[in-house]
Amino acid sequence: MAASVALRLDLPMTLASPATFADGVREHQDEVYGVALRITGDRDAALDVTSATFLNAFRAFHRYDASRPLRHWLLRIATNEAISYVRKRGRELRRSVGVEQATTLADSNATPDAESVAREDRARIRAAVSRLPELYRVVIVLRYFNELSVDEIAHVTGRPASTVGVQLLRGRALLRGALENEQ
Amino acid sequence: MRNDLRDDVLFDEVRLRRALRLEAAELPPRFDLATIVAQAEPRRPASAFAALLSTAVAGVAAAGLAGLVVVALLTIAPAVASEVFDAAIQILARAAVPASAIVATAQQPGISVAATFALAVAVAYEYAQRRERVHAVSS
Repeated sequence: MAASVALRLDLPMTLASPATFADGVREHQDEVYGVALRITGDRDAALDVTSATFLNAFRAFHRYDASRPLRHWLLRIATNEAISYVRKRGRELRRSVGVEQATTLADSNATPDAESVAREDRARIRAAVSRLPELYRVVIVLRYFNELSVDEIAHVTGRPASTVGVQLLRGRALLRGALENEQ
Repeated sequence: MRNDLRDDVLFDEVRLRRALRLEAAELPPRFDLATIVAQAEPRRPASAFAALLSTAVAGVAAAGLAGLVVVALLTIAPAVASEVFDAAIQILARAAVPASAIVATAQQPGISVAATFALAVAVAYEYAQRRERVHAVSS
């Protein structure tokens, strides 16, 4: 199957060994889906974004620079796709996520054990992340979900590293403020 | 102070990492490479030809329909317009028969003199009536 992919694309074998794209999909699909989910805040949207990411990656695979990590290239496409999706759906999507999260938080039947407290804390943080301005949300997700360094985030987003550093600080400050206001 | 700040940052980072991690229930279904490849594939010539043919047929049908509508409108329009014109002429003719008699009578010389005289009498009568009313009020 992978061989036929490479043949159909008519790629030089040095650039795209037959297994590369197939392996990329297998290895990084959870991460690509995760970044889409954390940026869009919606499961269906994340599935759409992930499909679009792999489709675009497949079509543009001949432009992929094999000297750089495939993971970063895929994350870059996924981030751009997710941002486009969020811009299209925009406010409507964020509002629906907020309502979902609020409903989760308002569950008065939840037992106050350690696990449910931790779950509630995670839900609050995710809701706060999904309400962050797109500029900060992307760097926060890439840093704390994908575990990328500042330089790697700069490479993925195409922003200067110093800007990414500032945006991370500012994003965290906004998150902390949002979480403190809730308490 | 510096250590407190550092601890705070570390705590935030740990919380953030835990919160953003994908849970087992959130994991996506496996993405099928074959589906991606099928979606990315350019259309086969047969399906492209079929699409082109169906578009052409639809275009011809739409053009035929539009032409039919135009022809129908052009055919019906004169008939409708002539009916409306006929009806207007008939109404005008019916009104013209009594009107012409009135106009012919009014054109006689005696009628205009009599009408002028009647008007003068009416004005004089009205003037006399007003003078009487004014006199009655003042006296």
